[in-house]
Amino acid sequence: MADIGSSGVSNSRYPYYYGPEGRLLLVDSALEAVGRGSTTVGIKTSTFALISSHIKPTKPLVEPSEKIFAIDGHVGATGSGYIGDILQLIDEMRIAAQKYRFTYDSPIDIKSLARQLSSYLHDFTIYAVRPQAASIIIAGLDPAGIQLYQVDPSGTYFSGSGFAIGQYSDTAIDTIQKEYTEDITIAQAVQLSDRAIEKALGEKPLVERGIVTAKDATFNKMVAAS
Amino acid sequence: MTTIVGIRTKEGVVLGSDRRASKGFFIGSKITQKITKIDDTLAVAIAGQLSDADYMVKLVKAERNLIELRRGFPVTVKESARLIANQAYTGLKNYQPYFVELLVGGVDQEGGHIFVADMSGAITSEEFASSGSGSPIAYGVLESIYHKDMTNEQAKEIATKAVAAAMERDPGSGNGIDILTIPKLSLVVKERRR
Repeated sequence: MADIGSSGVSNSRYPYYYGPEGRLLLVDSALEAVGRGSTTVGIKTSTFALISSHIKPTKPLVEPSEKIFAIDGHVGATGSGYIGDILQLIDEMRIAAQKYRFTYDSPIDIKSLARQLSSYLHDFTIYAVRPQAASIIIAGLDPAGIQLYQVDPSGTYFSGSGFAIGQYSDTAIDTIQKEYTEDITIAQAVQLSDRAIEKALGEKPLVERGIVTAKDATFNKMVAAS
Repeated sequence: MTTIVGIRTKEGVVLGSDRRASKGFFIGSKITQKITKIDDTLAVAIAGQLSDADYMVKLVKAERNLIELRRGFPVTVKESARLIANQAYTGLKNYQPYFVELLVGGVDQEGGHIFVADMSGAITSEEFASSGSGSPIAYGVLESIYHKDMTNEQAKEIATKAVAAAMERDPGSGNGIDILTIPKLSLVVKERRR
């Protein structure tokens, strides 16, 4: 009796309701799945936002999945978790961005985009369905400046200057926290994000990067350097 | 009301229009923009209900952006015209037609294209086309002086003549001429965003 709801899925009769400790098992599981995803980081200053994601090596003849996505001209995103779920969320964001343009005749602001995604994810936490096992980092520019957001499977969203999600993200965010300064350059931020992912994984990783700068106001994938 | 013309050339496409918006026998506006750019490679000339046309243009813009983001290469002019026609056809079959006749002009890898899309959902590819109340007059000019292998500069002149002639005799058209030229892709150094 003592173990009901305290640990495993199998013990819970209604896994989609609150457990005895007030936790949502399905959401916790989704977060757990994200924690096993590829290490992904985001760094923001007032002049740029950089997102970088580890590309897991595939078989020699198989191309690895794309990890950095343009959402609209001024915003891009990346994620960690089940790649199918990430792709679904990316498409939701792209549609949200175009709907915003359709309705208001202007590009979507990043907070609205994060909120829309949050709302979409939140829907999966209130019904007996599987929550999306993906966390998303959004980098963009709007009239309020450079923006960096993280959105989790629970629907929680944060704005901030440094994020890390996926495998060993604790180590990655530690590295970023230690070395981050507001006046960091793009080149330094690229190095820092590489180092954060490298430290987390303990090897020189293959990464994909995307950047948005206040100067040219567009989100671009960065051409692979390392 | 309105006169709009579109001409395909070896260098791209040219669209022309008058500037009059009619409210029955009253001139509602003398500075109406009837040529709407969708992006640097595609534009639409509008005859009919402006609100309907605007709505369709906005839809196509959104759809084109989404398609390009998803598949990673641009949407052709033909595909764009098809998107508009699909919308028109859906409207027709739902007894809520879009009261428009649009000239879709643009350039892609294949060169310049002019498509006519009307409220029935039909699309036709044309060398040159005209629409609106002044179109019979404009066609008179186009039919007599249009020839293949034109430059954009020559087509601009012919489009201007066609709209000007329509404005002389059609009470639904007037108040000046707008011309838009879209050079084909190989003629421009393309600065693409993204």
